[in-house]
Amino acid sequence: MWPPAPVVRRAARLARVKAANATQASRLPALDDLKNITSNSFISFPNSNTNTKNGDLAESPSDAVEESGPEKTSPSLARPLPNSIAVKDNIATADLPTTCGSGILRGYQSPFQAFVIEQARAYGGEVTGKTNLDEFGMGSHSTHSFFGPVRNKPPFEDFSAGGSSGGSAVAVAQGLCEVALGTDTGGSIRLPAAYTKTIGFKPSYGLLSRRGVVPYANSLDTVGILSQSTKIILKTFLQLGQHDIADPSTLPPKSRKRIAKWHAKMTMERRAKADISKPGFANLKIGVPIEYNIAELDPAIRRAWQNALTLFQEQGCTVVPVSLPNTKHALSAYYVLAPAEAASNLSKYDGIRYGTRSQLSDGAGDVLYSYSRGEGFGDEVKRRILLGSYTLSSEAIDNYFIKAQKIRRLVQRDFDRVFSISNPLRPPQQFDLSDMDDSVLLPDKLGPCDVDFIVCPTAPTTPPTLDDISKQTSVDAYMNDVFTVPASLAGLPAISVPYKGYFPSGAFRNPDAPNSIGIQIIGQYSDDVRVIATAHKFLQLQEDKANSRLRDNNFRARDKKLAIKEHKASRSMVKFTPSEEGILSRNVKISKHFSGRSMPKSLDYLLIRKMLQEVKITKYPSRKGLILQQQKSKAQTDREFAGALAAWDQIMH
Amino acid sequence: MVTKRYHVASVAPTTQTPTDQSVTTTTTQHATIPFRKQLKDEARKRKADTASRRRKEDNPKLNRWELTVGIEIHAQLNTARKLFSGAASTINDEPNTHVAHFDLAMPGSQPIFRKATLLPAIRAALALNCKIQRRSKFDRKHYFHWDQPAGYQITQYYEPFAKEGHITLYAHDGIAEEDGEQITIGIKQIQMEQDTAKTLSQPGDIHLLDYNRVGLPLIEIITLPQIHHPATAAALVRKVQVILNAVDACVLGMESGGLRADVNVSVRRRDGDVGDHEYGGVKGLGQRTEIKNLSSFKSVKDAIVAERDRQIDVLESGGLIEGETRGWTIGSTETRRLRGKEGEVDYRYMPDPDLGAVIIGDDLIDYLSQNLGVLPEQEVQALVGEFGLTFKDAASVVSLNDGGRYEYLRSVIDDFLLLSPDDDLKRVGKLCGNWVLHEMGGLTHPGADEDNPLGMANDGNCIIPHNQLAKLVYLLDIRKITGKSAKRILSELFVSGLAGNQRSTEDLVDEAGLWFSPLSNAEYEGLARSVIDLKVVEEILAGKEGKINFLVGKMMRKDGDGRVDPQKATAILRQIIDEFRKL
Repeated sequence: MWPPAPVVRRAARLARVKAANATQASRLPALDDLKNITSNSFISFPNSNTNTKNGDLAESPSDAVEESGPEKTSPSLARPLPNSIAVKDNIATADLPTTCGSGILRGYQSPFQAFVIEQARAYGGEVTGKTNLDEFGMGSHSTHSFFGPVRNKPPFEDFSAGGSSGGSAVAVAQGLCEVALGTDTGGSIRLPAAYTKTIGFKPSYGLLSRRGVVPYANSLDTVGILSQSTKIILKTFLQLGQHDIADPSTLPPKSRKRIAKWHAKMTMERRAKADISKPGFANLKIGVPIEYNIAELDPAIRRAWQNALTLFQEQGCTVVPVSLPNTKHALSAYYVLAPAEAASNLSKYDGIRYGTRSQLSDGAGDVLYSYSRGEGFGDEVKRRILLGSYTLSSEAIDNYFIKAQKIRRLVQRDFDRVFSISNPLRPPQQFDLSDMDDSVLLPDKLGPCDVDFIVCPTAPTTPPTLDDISKQTSVDAYMNDVFTVPASLAGLPAISVPYKGYFPSGAFRNPDAPNSIGIQIIGQYSDDVRVIATAHKFLQLQEDKANSRLRDNNFRARDKKLAIKEHKASRSMVKFTPSEEGILSRNVKISKHFSGRSMPKSLDYLLIRKMLQEVKITKYPSRKGLILQQQKSKAQTDREFAGALAAWDQIMH
Repeated sequence: MVTKRYHVASVAPTTQTPTDQSVTTTTTQHATIPFRKQLKDEARKRKADTASRRRKEDNPKLNRWELTVGIEIHAQLNTARKLFSGAASTINDEPNTHVAHFDLAMPGSQPIFRKATLLPAIRAALALNCKIQRRSKFDRKHYFHWDQPAGYQITQYYEPFAKEGHITLYAHDGIAEEDGEQITIGIKQIQMEQDTAKTLSQPGDIHLLDYNRVGLPLIEIITLPQIHHPATAAALVRKVQVILNAVDACVLGMESGGLRADVNVSVRRRDGDVGDHEYGGVKGLGQRTEIKNLSSFKSVKDAIVAERDRQIDVLESGGLIEGETRGWTIGSTETRRLRGKEGEVDYRYMPDPDLGAVIIGDDLIDYLSQNLGVLPEQEVQALVGEFGLTFKDAASVVSLNDGGRYEYLRSVIDDFLLLSPDDDLKRVGKLCGNWVLHEMGGLTHPGADEDNPLGMANDGNCIIPHNQLAKLVYLLDIRKITGKSAKRILSELFVSGLAGNQRSTEDLVDEAGLWFSPLSNAEYEGLARSVIDLKVVEEILAGKEGKINFLVGKMMRKDGDGRVDPQKATAILRQIIDEFRKL
């Protein structure tokens, strides 16, 4: 099957060197039929004649773009083809290269296909192309790619598209696909969604298979879904979220069954407790983490956050402050754990069995493969490998890696304490009130409110320009992940929804900036469907609001005034401190209920049921069905093996 | 028969010359021990004595320095598949024909722990008296080498699956004399881990890689540093191999590369200060060095001797031992430095984030310990205690043919007891043991397999059916055939077995007409008178009673058919000599 791979292969080496020299100048594959895409969101396409497969790299379109200036009139397909899927280039496809945006894997063709792609194809999905990303998913702006930076949707090409799934997000924003698959390790789905005004969903860890997803940090990596529609996201999530016998980190069927039963019970309980004078949605309790109101928060974002909360409140939801005290350590813990796992995962790239290889000998330099790895990896990847190698070294592991793991547990505990449903992966725990931040108000002696969801911004700022990013230090760039990392560390489902801003006048808007703001909804582990449903509801509320305002001229006039006021406020943002912001200030009261108002249809399970009814799950093609059946029977045999093997439980971190 | 005990006891009077010894032994030994065998034993003893004397003379420094050794043994588990992939585990298949995506570290491939690999691993751990851990985990050990595609090896560093075992070695296992009758060595832990790829080096600095081996399941057995003699270290490795084989945990022996050992060697002064180092909870040791990749019992022993002597020389000349990794080439006299501490790799152990914890239930442990079978040690004890074999013979029987020889012997004894139900077990055992081990062991034929001429399978079947051998030994025992005839029939059984047609013992005796007809008294007397030598008779009459054996021997030789019963011959001779006395 595999011929012996010589470690030193002079003739082949020489041939490769020649080929490499011939193509050294060009760094990008040709974007055949979609050449007019200026955002550099794709790396390869199914029908592209010249892809990276043969190492035959054509002239770089991004270079061409830079010469002629950004083309602002790029066509965007208004309506994406049904079932079209763009796939981040770190998810293995059998017919297109999987480069991970890295020089070391340029032209790499995976011999197998990711399970999620198999599933998507089984449901009729068609891969429209592989999208650009930060090398191996390491970055927050999709600028660290061997194939050049991803640019935001025209006319905002000079702005960051977010990362690392930036290519996927822009593909969705431009209507080049109905849905895009990406990966989220510390916010790589949600951040680009926020920056491109798309919806980005990171499911609970372990629900979607990672087989065929090139790992960055295995314990955090999650396949995520980007789309313009929450329904499509739900549909895709249900299609792909199946147990994969070949991924040791997916939740086993037994646990899925148990959790499903438990959810059914929770729903019953919620129904029993619900105030029947209010619609279902109004019974939701929304938590506002006070620690997220950081000084670095852009005032525009803070305002959007506040407006979003008001929107929920207007519908009768209870909005309460909650405390996640370990948030401040979460980012540091993430930037210890993720690089540590990355350094380990990336040890396999040596150019011997696949990937590119230096023309110098494998043994040249101090350490084996130093030249192949040095030439193949980009700067950010090298930085994180160094970081991770250090934090795992025998002298540093106790102070960094082990401590970060402990913080991770604390972050998980923070969330468990706040959510009204417990984490189904862990036994219920007791929490000490003395650990709680003073500012958290207690409605009664029983302790703080339990909430259904946490609502917070996705990113602390609107998209920065690529120029600004180039001037940032890496620590500045890491700061961008501050709101997304906690949910990743805890493995929770989180979705970023565009905040559309129901102020039509746009007086405070900068017409030259994308003004994209993402609002993030985080739920308890395995509460994915309700998280998507809430996002759906939130979008609907925004639309209703906008429509009603359009109808109501009075509103319009009032909006204009408000907008002017806001605009003035935004000019004086220097003086702005967290405590001045209404709902976010520490004086926030447990909000009143607006039960008397006319409500849209209730959300919760009625809505979900309706959405599920709309989802058409096509039957498996017979071959696929057969394979799944085989897998199932194999799982059965494995379980029955010797009748005595111990429980082999997938422990989630 | 020289056993270790005998050997130990006779080491003390080193002043004896070989001739002295032969004389003394001749007189003290029982007359029934064949003379030739006696000579052989003497020679062996002399050799052992001089060898041990030479060893001691070689390094008198050993009186001042104590050696401490800890061993890590890597053994390939007997499994159908690799540790984390579905690829088959094979031994000598065509290179690169059993490789899964994960084995090659293809991007996006994931490990799937094969639960079945736990079975031989747990059997091994139970046989080595370890405590099986309910929860264990896999960790990544990072280092770059071309035989390690992922850039790390998955092993169990933080939470191994078995801990706190021990192994007891006896004198007959070949431990050093200084360790006495038996010694127990602690086992710190046993862990499961992946094997590396096989490198096939070619001329011109080219290395070809065979990934069939990559990812095969290994166990690493780590002993405590409680070994103080090179011979004991080698005995331990040998015994571990025998045990792993006996519980069916291992595929290959050391000679075929299925077992490799690393040894950690340190020395410290016996009288002076204790060392500053602590390994595996044992304190006060000297700085250790590690010798990697020893692939034979002899190299384990030789490498330790060489490294011990090197360390002592360095320390005595005022130097310091560096914590370094050293290598050993078979046939050399010195270990060589591979890399020093500064070149030591920081393995950056990290829990594998893809793999969950392994939880081993008590039910599995109970089941496996109940079905572990009899360990070689218990087999040896049974042969010695119940069946009257010597330790050495018992150990040989147990170690031959993967335990097949032991099974065969038990079958032969059972068959013999069917023929002679009330017989003494020890007598029968000894008799059958002698034939199964020594007489059968001497059989050779150009047409036979050189390594296993008897075609002995490990279930105890071979080309000579055990009931036929039992019959043969029985016929000999009841004097229906002579010893000489028995040997001839045995070799005929062997030849016909090789040819594929198994014959019955009786038929063969019939055909050859070897049924024993005892000599009549008259024939005995005739024979006796024909060998009588007056000079000898005079000596006997003068009191040298032992000389009568000389005449018996003469009678036996003269008869040629082996029909002479020494006791009867002695009696007849006495009668005749008494006649002389009366004269």
